Amino acid sequence: MTFLPRMAVKNLFRYGRRTIITASAIAFGIMCFILIDSLLKGLDEDSQRNLIWYETGSAGFFHPEYWEDRAMLPLDRPVDSSENLVAQLRARNVKAVSRIDFAGDMIVYKDPFPEDGNLQVKVTGIDVEHDSDVFRLKDNVASGRYLEAGEDGVLMGQWLAKDLGAEVGYPLTIVTRTFDGYFQTMDLEIVGILESDNPVVNRYGMYVPLDTVRYALDMDDYATGVYVSLPRDSREAAMLAELQPLAADAGLDLLDWRILGADYVDLAAAKRSGSSSVLFLVFLIAAVGISNTILMSVFERIRELGMMRAMGMKNKSIRNLFLMEAAGIGFTGSLGGVILGALVNLFLVNKGIDYSETMESGDMGYRISAIAYGTWDPTTFITAFVIGTVMAVLVAWLPTRRALKLDIPVCLRYN
Amino acid sequence: MKNKKTTAILFLLFFTATLLWSQTAEEIIRKVDEQQYFATMKTTGSMITNDRFGTKKVDYISWSEGNDNFIIEFTSAAERGQKILRTSDELFLYYPDAEEIIRLQGAALKQSMMGSDISYEDMTAGNDTLRQYDVELKGSETIDGKDCFVIQMTAKSRKVPYPAQTLWIEKETYVPEQVRYFSKSGKLLKEMRVLEVREMEGKVIISKMVLEDKLKKNSSTEMVLDEIEINPVLGRDFFSLDQLAW
Repeated sequence: MTFLPRMAVKNLFRYGRRTIITASAIAFGIMCFILIDSLLKGLDEDSQRNLIWYETGSAGFFHPEYWEDRAMLPLDRPVDSSENLVAQLRARNVKAVSRIDFAGDMIVYKDPFPEDGNLQVKVTGIDVEHDSDVFRLKDNVASGRYLEAGEDGVLMGQWLAKDLGAEVGYPLTIVTRTFDGYFQTMDLEIVGILESDNPVVNRYGMYVPLDTVRYALDMDDYATGVYVSLPRDSREAAMLAELQPLAADAGLDLLDWRILGADYVDLAAAKRSGSSSVLFLVFLIAAVGISNTILMSVFERIRELGMMRAMGMKNKSIRNLFLMEAAGIGFTGSLGGVILGALVNLFLVNKGIDYSETMESGDMGYRISAIAYGTWDPTTFITAFVIGTVMAVLVAWLPTRRALKLDIPVCLRYN
Repeated sequence: MKNKKTTAILFLLFFTATLLWSQTAEEIIRKVDEQQYFATMKTTGSMITNDRFGTKKVDYISWSEGNDNFIIEFTSAAERGQKILRTSDELFLYYPDAEEIIRLQGAALKQSMMGSDISYEDMTAGNDTLRQYDVELKGSETIDGKDCFVIQMTAKSRKVPYPAQTLWIEKETYVPEQVRYFSKSGKLLKEMRVLEVREMEGKVIISKMVLEDKLKKNSSTEMVLDEIEINPVLGRDFFSLDQLAW
């Protein structure tokens, strides 16, 4: 009963060098699979978090006709009595804050800027006192200071500032329209530069105190959206459902971050299918490597196989022996891959990989501006281990079957 | 006797001056609007845009009927066949490549037309100035050697883009020689100056003008009318969507 397993183990040690080489190939493939999966999932998780922290909150209340034309940043479809809604939400212990997004033409002049120019920008009016209840901008001022209520100041993303040659204290003018559609100009001074984890903030961010915006644009108590922060767990759905009647009573739409960040969510879904292709390729490369080495190990031993058959060993026993050996190699390699993967992933999770230059020079769609971290996913480790072991057995099946079909003299003369 | 004559002449001059001065701002603006009003009109011209990227010239033919109806067709190679139709309360774009008519509304009207300093919204502003603005005569000034009324206009309609304008209107011809457009906070945004006029059928028509963006350095749009035809016969459905896609 234990003859075959014992013989398989003995063979593995007898052909030690080949066992190590084959197991190493499997281990490398498994490790690559684990690391790439970890990095892609980490990018996805961090992007999702940064989307919520810096752009969408957990959900937002909007005028029913605002969202379809959001690209135009219309001011004439506001949330009326936005502060009343915020008060109602806070009374329910829901963190909430009003924001006004509007479009403008930013005009800068040579001296202090390096040259004259203008740029179409999206500007966001933020409640200086309460914005940090929902969003994380306040913690990301790299130079200068955070906004003060009522001032003609602006916070600017660091990459935008770098492109413009802007520094704290530089003046700029925003040409925009009021709520009624009149031309309006806002003379602002850069009071701080933002360096956040979200590339959208760094590349496009322009933030002005909400009261300054309301005064300039005749927005009174209006906001383009009221955003809320909800726990990022199973309670989120239940709380959203509880808030729906409030939105309906106010004649507003309540949209969660999956809709507010639809551009990213769609992109992430597309990237996920792309990532699956990458993982499949990694898997394929690993599979080819594993099958190649197992194939070689079987073909190298065809003479030995012929001898065993000549000595009367049954084909079934020989096949089982070879498959057990393959399973042993697969097990060793997969175990090694999982251990190596875990060790390298430890570095990925804690230190990450610095992508700041890549992210700054091009928009990859992910909401990561500098360091991409890995993540721990036990399912991936288990899957990789099982697949590595099973695949080794499967790829050993065919060459063994083929070798067993050869005549014994052919096997014995096989080179 | 001689003294009496001199006195009479002086009185006449004074009376004329007083009469001119006594014109109300409303009357002056009404005359300006009348000066720009034609039952129908066809013009051929070009729009020259200067900005930091260089100079771009766009040729066009336009037809208008009264204050409300207006079609402009671009004839330059790059924009050939593109048309804009303005009726009393709507604005449509036609792109021949897409064979598609697009109705512009809301925020889209605020976009620049062909990269110029003129927005689509500027085109929707008709000549019913007094319905849209409160006007006030601020006095007289000389602009390029021409004696002009200075009129301050403050928006009372919410359908206009400029909350305040100052106009320098030539007393003799009622042509707005210079117009300054201000933002709500009072900052000068744009300045229009008349460079050439042409007299036709008893009216003085602006044939060349320049609109400068005063916030952007070296940004201006020049409108030049090469040919003007007053009261051409236009079909009954000339200003219709069918005509736009024709």
